Amino acid sequence: MSKLDVVGKSFPQIDALEKAMGKTKFVTDLALPQMLHGRVLRSPYPHAKIKNIDTSKAARLAGVKAVVTYADTPGIKYGPRTDDWTIFADDKARFYGDEVAAVAAVDEDTAEGALDLIEVEYEELPFVADPLEAMQADAPLVHDDKPGNIAAEFKVEAGDVDQAFKDSHVIYEDRYYTNQVYQAYMEPMGALAEIDKSGRLTLWTGTQIPNMMRMTYATALGVSADNIRVIVPDYGGAFGAKMENNVHLVAAILARKSGRPVRLINTRHDDFIAGNPRVPMYIDIKLGATKDGILTGKEVQVVGGAGARVVYSQVIVATACYRVDSLYRFKHVRSKGFTVYTNTVPTACFRGFGNSQMTFVLESALDMIAEQLNIDPVDLRLKNGIGPNETSVHGWKINSSGLKECVVKAAEKAEWKTKRGQKKPFKGIGLSCCNHVSGNRPFAREFDGGAGIVRIGRDGRITVYHGESDMGQGQKTTFAQIAAERLGVPLEMIYVADVDTDISPFGLGSFATRGTLMGGNGVLAAAKDAFKQLAETAAGMLEASAEDVRCRKGSFFISGSPEKSLPFKEVAAQATYDRHGAPVVGTGFYTPPTVLPDLETKYGNISPAYPFACQIAEVEIDPDTGQVTVTNFVGAHDVGRAINPLATEGQVRGGVTQGLGWTLMENMAYADGKLINPDFVDYIVPSALDVPEIKPILVEPIEPNGPYGAKGIGEPALNPTMSAITNAIYNATGIRIKELPVSPEKLLEEINKKRGQPTDNK
Amino acid sequence: MLVPINIIVNGEEYHLKVKPNQILLDVLREDLGLTGSKQGCGLGKCGACTVLLNGKPVHSCLILAPYADGKEIVTIEGIAGEEPHPLQTAFAEKGAVQCGFCTPGMINAAKALLDDNPEPSEAEIKLAIAGNLCRCTGYNQIVSAIQSCAPSNSDIQTEKRGKSNE
Ligand code: FES
Ligand code: FES
Repeated sequence: MSKLDVVGKSFPQIDALEKAMGKTKFVTDLALPQMLHGRVLRSPYPHAKIKNIDTSKAARLAGVKAVVTYADTPGIKYGPRTDDWTIFADDKARFYGDEVAAVAAVDEDTAEGALDLIEVEYEELPFVADPLEAMQADAPLVHDDKPGNIAAEFKVEAGDVDQAFKDSHVIYEDRYYTNQVYQAYMEPMGALAEIDKSGRLTLWTGTQIPNMMRMTYATALGVSADNIRVIVPDYGGAFGAKMENNVHLVAAILARKSGRPVRLINTRHDDFIAGNPRVPMYIDIKLGATKDGILTGKEVQVVGGAGARVVYSQVIVATACYRVDSLYRFKHVRSKGFTVYTNTVPTACFRGFGNSQMTFVLESALDMIAEQLNIDPVDLRLKNGIGPNETSVHGWKINSSGLKECVVKAAEKAEWKTKRGQKKPFKGIGLSCCNHVSGNRPFAREFDGGAGIVRIGRDGRITVYHGESDMGQGQKTTFAQIAAERLGVPLEMIYVADVDTDISPFGLGSFATRGTLMGGNGVLAAAKDAFKQLAETAAGMLEASAEDVRCRKGSFFISGSPEKSLPFKEVAAQATYDRHGAPVVGTGFYTPPTVLPDLETKYGNISPAYPFACQIAEVEIDPDTGQVTVTNFVGAHDVGRAINPLATEGQVRGGVTQGLGWTLMENMAYADGKLINPDFVDYIVPSALDVPEIKPILVEPIEPNGPYGAKGIGEPALNPTMSAITNAIYNATGIRIKELPVSPEKLLEEINKKRGQPTDNK
Repeated sequence: MLVPINIIVNGEEYHLKVKPNQILLDVLREDLGLTGSKQGCGLGKCGACTVLLNGKPVHSCLILAPYADGKEIVTIEGIAGEEPHPLQTAFAEKGAVQCGFCTPGMINAAKALLDDNPEPSEAEIKLAIAGNLCRCTGYNQIVSAIQSCAPSNSDIQTEKRGKSNE
């Protein structure tokens, strides 16, 4: 590849300064004339029959413009995966926080006051909060038509697992639990909804999946998808959570009933109790290896808690079941997954999407195997890690793999050998690897890939339209760099439009670490098309043939004679005149070489590229309090090519910090079916004081399917963090953490237990 | 029943009538249209609403508007002169901004620190922003952006975006 001018360079995000100046308008900041403010009345019980709702008093309060309940909805069952949703609770509320009614009023105070005037007659029902309990025969049913509370089952088997275990020298078997945690993006969910005179709905909302959301919501509202327009302004983080959520539809119903625009932003409390937190999982694992540390067989069973309706939990459980199988050279694997309804908040995507839960378990198990075999954990990974141009047990084609380089480089930087060798009491070092995807073929069955539009107007203004989502990770900047590189212009000439489903390509969205590869390839194809059109114009102006026209740093010239050049703007103007005023519009799309997995065997190739990572944590434990401090952290990541190293490192640091929070601090705690820590007073996320210096290492094996060789980074940034830390805790104390999070109390108890026993604790 | 208050916001004087229980953040955002200050929690636990009240950083979600009567307030919209404030430039250039929702509050907390203590240690910086949550960045870049604004570090005026492209 020839020398790159824009790609591979660390630029600040193109909108960073506006954000730092406080000029950026987030969803929360949008307002329309006559706009009302919405608030939601939520169920105070985890499970209760709704016998009657009287909204008359609330409706009479001065300033209240609409009060709505299930009766004001079309009453259609819908859902992104399973039709078990209704807008507002129908005959019963199924979780603490379930939508029961909502108000739109002239200001927030009035809306809030009106909620108190809504009279709801509940009849409490027995509830079930734990997924294992929910599977018991006598458990209350969350949905009467879902026996056993089973929302979905998943199975995959390859090779001969029983024989593999027979052939093993060591076998490790245990049960783990990963808890429910909250994404805690700084801007709560919400939307501004407006119905125009034709009855068409416009939703301004922070969403990762503008187009898919629109289709789900069309079903819910009983309208065709073209009657909904979704616009995605800048928004304050998502980390997986900002997909479908009833709060958007409640805003729409309020706007419909009041005839005025309604802005409904969750309070932080509401966001905690009715957002889309992480799927909690019970995971049983059995893992075998030969004497030499070659992994033989793996068997897992996953029981994941869906909460009261399926958002994406069933796909997340499926992912937990088998994605890690392509991290190592497994031949014999068997997984079973159950997605189970409970009377808790519906759970969904959170950075890692099930792979993070299973990575924690598998990488913990690997360290136990390493110990039994007396092999260095680094060597165990190097022996088994999947390499470039290999095909995994499920048919995944690994083009580039920097896995081993990640392990080696991380170990070097963290001084693994030295530190593991000089073990000090209550200090430890641990490592963990992970794999991930850059797109997930089965997520949307209709198609895979990405598309872009590049519009160049008479003045040379270049606008990139994409259909993914910038939730703050810097997707716009990545796309701008790709377009600038392909067109041959400086970065500041590119403007990236907000996603508007009336204008932008039909993108699947930003999830599954797919944005950079899929959307980036789409933008690249569009830029190529636009360039071709401009090159023809420039060829005429330079009296050359179009194939010989080049553009670099904003000037067109003929290959080999850069001394005669034309400014980009002049060519853009001429192209517009030649088209009698029409802009140059380049469009393009990317067809990934993925293979939809077989429904039965799951054999396929779900992503065009697979990122890998190895992270190493060092910890210090206070033996008197059980407090764990992460003192050093190295994250080596195979990113194919970092389009923007500064932004890529930012993803690593952010992901690790979230993983650190999950491992050591965060837990959604329930009592009597109610979330007891629905705010930042009691649900503590890492502050600046909790985070050590995180040292990213970017490994760049140049992925043939990636735009300029890039793969994704969002989720692998977090996947290995939990087990890197808990493996370090094991190294420090000999205590194997099998349940997240590691609270100081729990750890202290274990430490004291160990002290009481004459064990061979190292 | 409304209470009259006089406040100076970003150097401009406002004579307003507010509800006695109205919070300062609402006055700034809803009445004055200064939406740079954000609401992340409403409980004084995230720092997204941090503004400077008589030069001191406060959580404007916890301040009742009548309490601000006669006081001077600076928001993120008011800290730049002709050019962006050095902290704003440093945050942008150093990758301390991702989604940017925490950024205004974070910068105000940092400004209050530097006004008070121009050469803070890393520990002092971390302590000063401990009440400002950022869920995107992992804080490392925020700390180094703030460090770079200490007078002894003059590398903040890094090249403008795109320069390295020429
Ligand atoms: S909104 Fe004021 S501290 Fe969170
Ligand atoms: S940049 Fe998103 S919360 Fe700080």
